Amino acid sequence: MTGNTSKKALSLVLLGVGIISLVVSLVIDFMGLGFDFRGYLLIIGILGTLGGLFTLPTEKYHRNIVNFVFLFPLLFTFGVTVIIPLVLGIGYSFTDWDGVMVGRFVGLDNYIQAFHQTTFLYSVLLTALFVVINMILVNLVAFLLALLCSSKIKGVGFFRATYFLPNLIGGIVLGYIWQFAFSKALIGITSKIFGMEYSILSETNLAFWCIIIVYIWQYAGYIMLIYITGLNTVPREVLEASAIDGANAWSTLFQIKIPMIASTITICTFLTLTNAFKMFDVNLSLTGGNGSVENFLGGSLTNGTEMLALNIYTTAINKNNYALGQAKAVLFFIILTVVSIVQVRISNKKEVEM
Amino acid sequence: MKKQIAVALALATAATMLFAGCAKGENSNSASKGSGDAIQLLNGKPEIDAQMQELAKAYEEETGKKIEVLTIGGNETASSKLKELYQAGEMPDIFVLEANQFANWSGKLVDMSDQQWTEDTEVEYVNEEGTLGFPYMVEACGLAYNADILEKAGVDPASLTSPEAYKEAFATLDSMKDELGLTAVVGYNVNATDVGWSSGTHVFGQYLDAGLATDDTTYIDMLNDGGKLDEERFTAFGEFIGMLNQYTDPALITGSYDDQVLGFASGKYAFVTQGSWIGATLTGDDLAAYEEAGSFKVGFAPYAFEDGLTTILNEPTSFWGVYKDGNVEDAEAFLQWASEDTAQRMFVEDMGFVSPYADCAYSSTDPFAASVTEWLGTGKHSSYHTFLKKDGLQDATSVIFQNYAKGQYKDATEFYNAMQEATTGYYANN
Repeated sequence: MTGNTSKKALSLVLLGVGIISLVVSLVIDFMGLGFDFRGYLLIIGILGTLGGLFTLPTEKYHRNIVNFVFLFPLLFTFGVTVIIPLVLGIGYSFTDWDGVMVGRFVGLDNYIQAFHQTTFLYSVLLTALFVVINMILVNLVAFLLALLCSSKIKGVGFFRATYFLPNLIGGIVLGYIWQFAFSKALIGITSKIFGMEYSILSETNLAFWCIIIVYIWQYAGYIMLIYITGLNTVPREVLEASAIDGANAWSTLFQIKIPMIASTITICTFLTLTNAFKMFDVNLSLTGGNGSVENFLGGSLTNGTEMLALNIYTTAINKNNYALGQAKAVLFFIILTVVSIVQVRISNKKEVEM
Repeated sequence: MKKQIAVALALATAATMLFAGCAKGENSNSASKGSGDAIQLLNGKPEIDAQMQELAKAYEEETGKKIEVLTIGGNETASSKLKELYQAGEMPDIFVLEANQFANWSGKLVDMSDQQWTEDTEVEYVNEEGTLGFPYMVEACGLAYNADILEKAGVDPASLTSPEAYKEAFATLDSMKDELGLTAVVGYNVNATDVGWSSGTHVFGQYLDAGLATDDTTYIDMLNDGGKLDEERFTAFGEFIGMLNQYTDPALITGSYDDQVLGFASGKYAFVTQGSWIGATLTGDDLAAYEEAGSFKVGFAPYAFEDGLTTILNEPTSFWGVYKDGNVEDAEAFLQWASEDTAQRMFVEDMGFVSPYADCAYSSTDPFAASVTEWLGTGKHSSYHTFLKKDGLQDATSVIFQNYAKGQYKDATEFYNAMQEATTGYYANN
């Protein structure tokens, strides 16, 4: 049939042009020839290849091809923004990269150095402590707020909106707002009561709790919304049945509501866990990671409030050691992956089958 | 068939939109490399952005060549921004560099020793690779004072050449605080979080260089050898800092840079631990307060923590370098022009800089300019070797300065011990 032949021809031409231009553009790029049109050539190549595949007159593979064509934009973006940087990053962590040039391959030196750095070990421990405290407090506060906002008091909509509002403000801005509160406003009180004429943010232990307070303030509203949704999914019949059976508010809460929203609790703990681990912006703007620690592993430290993410940032940017920062980032990635997997496994077992 | 074409078209449109971003980036990249096009300059001083744009305009009017000025706030950010631009292949042709950042760009900067401007200045950045840094200003850093207040209190700034003299002057000023309208004698900001560069780099720099000849690297060499401090000199320095702690405004232990400068501008502090860069703020953002306080005269006194340490730090704090793979010819032509008459007038009169060029005939309206020029005339100036310390060391040292101000160490010896532990720890760890 002529229709089929012409279709086949079109498809093959598209495929041919596509693959050739794809290869040429990549070769130009890797060889650093720097022609302006290589970007367009790449686009033409990809479109040609996809078009050729799509119009290929085949019964057998058609479904697979369509699947691939439709998945391609997503896979491509994921590859460019996640996979390639991850692979490059891991690569850089084995070199002496300084943000400009790669001098030589250094093997595991960066990883070894990271584990010898007391400041890094301190940051890891501090972050772990921060995560544990936050996971408990954020969920507790958020759950209580959710109970409040799913009850029948007046102005529930207003409360929901207000509690959620801090989450809409960026972390850096939040940090500076609270820095003002702790440094400028609170100092008037502390200087009168304790005679302390400087901000509590310069006292390591207090500053740590300040970060926790700000973080809860920022994050509890968001988690609250998820809990509200969870609480709303508890079937009314079940609650009515328990009321008829004589369950009071406490037993309804502990024996019906909480087990029924176990999956929500899983989601929320998971979210708070990973987010607390990745804590960066409030840390940077509130204390900048400063704080003096008298004795840690036999020495004093000056990064008393520096969490892991901020430690990675200062290693690369302030201390100009990009490769070491990259190695720490890889460790960070591994820790986060392991913790997340373990956490999800444990929580999944406790969920009630609906 | 039609349906298939429609789908393919839709897909094509979507994909084009997806790639539009990448393609654009590549375009602008190559545009900057062609000769005859505008050259780019990365400026690290946000306070002179508007004036730099004017400078670019003046250059275009005189020579017909375009220069594009990009401004990045704060030097730390400029350096990481530069690395970003490098990775993206969009390097500017001229960019700002601090003394310790030249090593990063080893082999990528142009040796400008054959340029004519090098004969008119003595403070260009030179290392074993050649003349790499073009100096565009000189910044002074000592203990800045309010001359009017000192005069009212009967303190002669020229007499401040020993710790004893300072002790006496501080005590006199302190006893007359109400009369002179002072909040505190000294505005010494030790906020490690936001102003750590001030105590950690500049004040610490006085330990490294005060009283030394510009080529004397004794203490910076010791420091870079594993973070060692000279016990005798540092303890004397600590005594002096202790005196600053005694007479400073406690609000500045965790106060902001703006508070500190505004306090000085409004005549609330007789001394302030900042350099000539605050001049632009006195005549800019804080002008109202400065005028209300009587547009007082200002000057610099040396950090005389030992007898006879009578120099202030007075050198360029940053330079402009030229990128080897950029448009070198046009960039060098611009720098030569920048060292000449029109540009010098703009640097000095509009930006308030003190010129590093010998034949510059203009005098600045900046409040500190007179004092800085006078110091340059006496030859009593030292270098900023503090910029050669290990990257990020100020993050550690500033915390120790803050602890000392909070009263955590009872004397200069404890301060020395803590600082020594912090610096050796930092050098060992990083």
